[in-house]
Amino acid sequence: MEILSNLALGFSVALNPFTLFLAVVGCFLGTIIGALPGLGPSNGVAILIPLAFTLGLDATSALVLLTSVYYGAMYGGRISSILLNIPGDEPALMTTLDGYPMARQGRAGDALVISGVASFVGAMLATIGLVILAPMLARVAYLFGPAEYFALYLLAFTTLGGVGSKNQAKAVIAACIGLGIAMIGLDNTTGMPRFTYGNMHMMDGVDFLVAIVGLFAITEVFFFIETHGKGSAIGVKLEKVTVPIKDLIATSGSMLRGSGIGFVAGILPGAGASLGSFLAYMAEKSIAGPSGKFGQGDPRGVAAPEAGNNAAAGGALIPMLTLGVPGSGTTAVLLALLMTLNITPGPTLFADRPEVVWGLIASLLIANVVLLIMNIPMVKIFVKVLMVPAWVLLPGVTMISFVGIYSLTGSYFDLVMMVGFGVMGYFLRKLDIPTVPVILGILLGNQMEDNLRRAMVIANGDWTYLFSTGISIGLWTAAIAGFIAPIFLRRFLKRPPQPVDAEAD
Amino acid sequence: MASDRIFGLVVLGVALAYIASALQIQPSFLSDPVGPKVFPLVIGAVAALAALVVLLKPDESPEWPHGRTWLHLGIALAVLVGYAYALKPLGFLLPTAVAASVVSYQISPRLQTAALTGVGLSVGLFAIFKYALGLGLIALPRAMMG
Amino acid sequence: MKMTLLKALGTSALLSLGATTAMATECIAPADAGGGWDFTCRQIGKLLYDLKLVPSPVQVTNMAGAGGGLAYANVVNERNTDADLIVAASSATTTRLAQNAYGGATADQVRWVGTIGGDPGVIVVAKDSPYQTLKDLVDAIIADPSKITFAGGSAAGGFDHLKPLMVLKAAGFTNAKAVKYIGMNGGAEAITQTIGGFTQAMTGDISEITGFIKSGDVRALAILTPERVAGFEDIPTAKEQGYDVVVVNWRGLYVPKGISDDAFNGWATKLQAVADSAEWKAVMEANGLAPFTLVGAEFQGWIDGVVADTTALSREIGVIQ
Repeated sequence: MEILSNLALGFSVALNPFTLFLAVVGCFLGTIIGALPGLGPSNGVAILIPLAFTLGLDATSALVLLTSVYYGAMYGGRISSILLNIPGDEPALMTTLDGYPMARQGRAGDALVISGVASFVGAMLATIGLVILAPMLARVAYLFGPAEYFALYLLAFTTLGGVGSKNQAKAVIAACIGLGIAMIGLDNTTGMPRFTYGNMHMMDGVDFLVAIVGLFAITEVFFFIETHGKGSAIGVKLEKVTVPIKDLIATSGSMLRGSGIGFVAGILPGAGASLGSFLAYMAEKSIAGPSGKFGQGDPRGVAAPEAGNNAAAGGALIPMLTLGVPGSGTTAVLLALLMTLNITPGPTLFADRPEVVWGLIASLLIANVVLLIMNIPMVKIFVKVLMVPAWVLLPGVTMISFVGIYSLTGSYFDLVMMVGFGVMGYFLRKLDIPTVPVILGILLGNQMEDNLRRAMVIANGDWTYLFSTGISIGLWTAAIAGFIAPIFLRRFLKRPPQPVDAEAD
Repeated sequence: MASDRIFGLVVLGVALAYIASALQIQPSFLSDPVGPKVFPLVIGAVAALAALVVLLKPDESPEWPHGRTWLHLGIALAVLVGYAYALKPLGFLLPTAVAASVVSYQISPRLQTAALTGVGLSVGLFAIFKYALGLGLIALPRAMMG
Repeated sequence: MKMTLLKALGTSALLSLGATTAMATECIAPADAGGGWDFTCRQIGKLLYDLKLVPSPVQVTNMAGAGGGLAYANVVNERNTDADLIVAASSATTTRLAQNAYGGATADQVRWVGTIGGDPGVIVVAKDSPYQTLKDLVDAIIADPSKITFAGGSAAGGFDHLKPLMVLKAAGFTNAKAVKYIGMNGGAEAITQTIGGFTQAMTGDISEITGFIKSGDVRALAILTPERVAGFEDIPTAKEQGYDVVVVNWRGLYVPKGISDDAFNGWATKLQAVADSAEWKAVMEANGLAPFTLVGAEFQGWIDGVVADTTALSREIGVIQ
């Protein structure tokens, strides 16, 4: 009952015509920002912070506006993933794997509707989880030390083999490329530069957004120039946009499981939305087994990661609010906003400033509903993007990518690096080397290394410390199973040989 | 076949260079049993092993583009790199119009439509970024703004 | 209505694309949003405008890179005469300058305007920790350094790491290499690890842990100020426990070297006005900052001393050769 009265308090603060208007504007801008490659939720929120001050918004209104942008961007990221094979931001990475093949089959509308509903389910469940469990779940962060985080990242990498490529060795190379790039920059443990060769721009390492936009958007341009758009989704005859009720029912399980996995990943400060959507996808893939058409346009491959990343976005608010630990770049920006408003998140925030916390929760619920209502009808407009001729669309995407990356640092260096990634992406794709592991390596590499080294500092170099708690043993078991299972499954189920697996020697 | 062999060799070479570079990293000065070298060395070693596997068991070669297409790709690449350097000193509008036109022309070689696309995108995107999203883009070179 | 909002966006909300409208003050936070520098820029920027010290809202630019080194190089090399530019700085800035971590840049390449608040250093343990006083902890480390790991928000050798090392040095323990420290991404993560029992103590700034002290999850063993701090009277200073160590993370600004003396003095006056305002005092109280105001020439001299001291200490413990 207390929850209900608290919620009523929240809505009484957050629900009035002006804040609703802000929510609509925020959701709209957020969706657009999320869909544009290079501009993601974190710069979206950062762009709008000055606006909140210029308009003289009070704390609640500012929160409503910015959470709407936050959730809007999480929704928006999937749009360019599905339509153009270019993730709008890093959590939408996994959505390209099945969303784009769906679009190529003319099912862009279905993919957008399914992912929109999945986003809603994930975000809604996460918000409810936040309401009911936040004070308890804050404690979960205390259970994860360096050894546990290391095992968690290991789990992500051992399950990578199944992504995209038919050749395991190539997936390993891809992951190594990403991990190798992640090592560039200041070593977090010693503060000393590695692989920077004295270049100031390299000190902070390679921004994963630069890599994502390069590997996807710029690579896409090169491919277009080569193939003139053969086999792409642009110009494909679209099926009529309807609500694919059958698919929605069929993917409901994926949405629920994806939400659960994403939510847990979100609560852990070191994991975040990208890991949430990745693990959600891999879990669905292994549950489906050989019956799934993952990678070729399986609706479950769209539903699970989208539910996962939106649930993670909600889950990430828990450590942010209760511990002051931002679980992702975006929550870091929201944290900055709270602190500018003289609200210091921490274990006492729920007790000290209930109107802020519950106002925030109410505004999350409002933003979510607004987004669902806005997004489903807008699918009809989004799919029209595919009718724009390639010679306008691709230069446009390129220029947007440049501006997006330029807005990160204002430096030509990142732009040149992005083009470099584009060239690399072209060759990788030609040689059938998956690019997802590259990004994952860049995203998680430093964290993985730092946690291993922290664990060894704590344990004075005793390796058994890595498997000394129940959680870490569980994660190691899952990681090893995730690595071995596909090999065994393949043997036992005697899957027909892959069609292109022809080896001449 | 040949492509994968070349690729395997390139990865092997890069991995070895990476390992050599990792060996140069200064050891840690404080209590740090793993140290800054181990992780990069493991990555390099794993990459080298995987490269050997690809070298020994290569896949079919993909179909590579031919002469003219390479030229188109090269032009696009050159323009994008030039664009990266031009954006700051020359402002948004001019370099964007040129770069977008060239990219558009490489995709569909019609001079007029490409030029129109470039100018349209340049002005249109500028308006969107500047006025709808509030990014502080510079339109023209500072010198021309006075 | 929507159009007005969009227009407001366009005219006011500039991001860091290199463009600055004439007259508007820009504050560079040399890190991503959410950290201490970002906080400094946003709070000082807000007050500068609210107190009518600058004509238009201050634009905050986040220029993350090389722990502030990228912004430093940018100011020195490209913005050296920009009189409308202020840059957030703190002890982390001087620590890195002292350790030559900014690629050869030195502290005399900019002008130091002032500091208007200090974030006292603290050493804390989890509430169920066996260590009741700073002496308990120090004695335990001296007995067996391999048993205790500190977590902090900076990399090894950084500002948070130096705090326990200075305390141990005051206790006569100089084998700095044996002291175990893990650098987390910020103080909040460090405190989480300490409450979780993975590390035995946490070293950081008091603003990072106020919520955890209030909730009773942690016990502060010592605050590294000359006297006890208002609002945290329960926390004993290190000095009164016999370790004469004072470490305060100051929050302040620097400006480009090439601006006129008038412009520099203008900023010093404005900063002093912010420091004197009731609003700033409220901000400090809410965030656990202690009054620590030094402005203009006085600050410049203080900075020189701090850099020299840090260099000496870093050399002593082997962070730099």
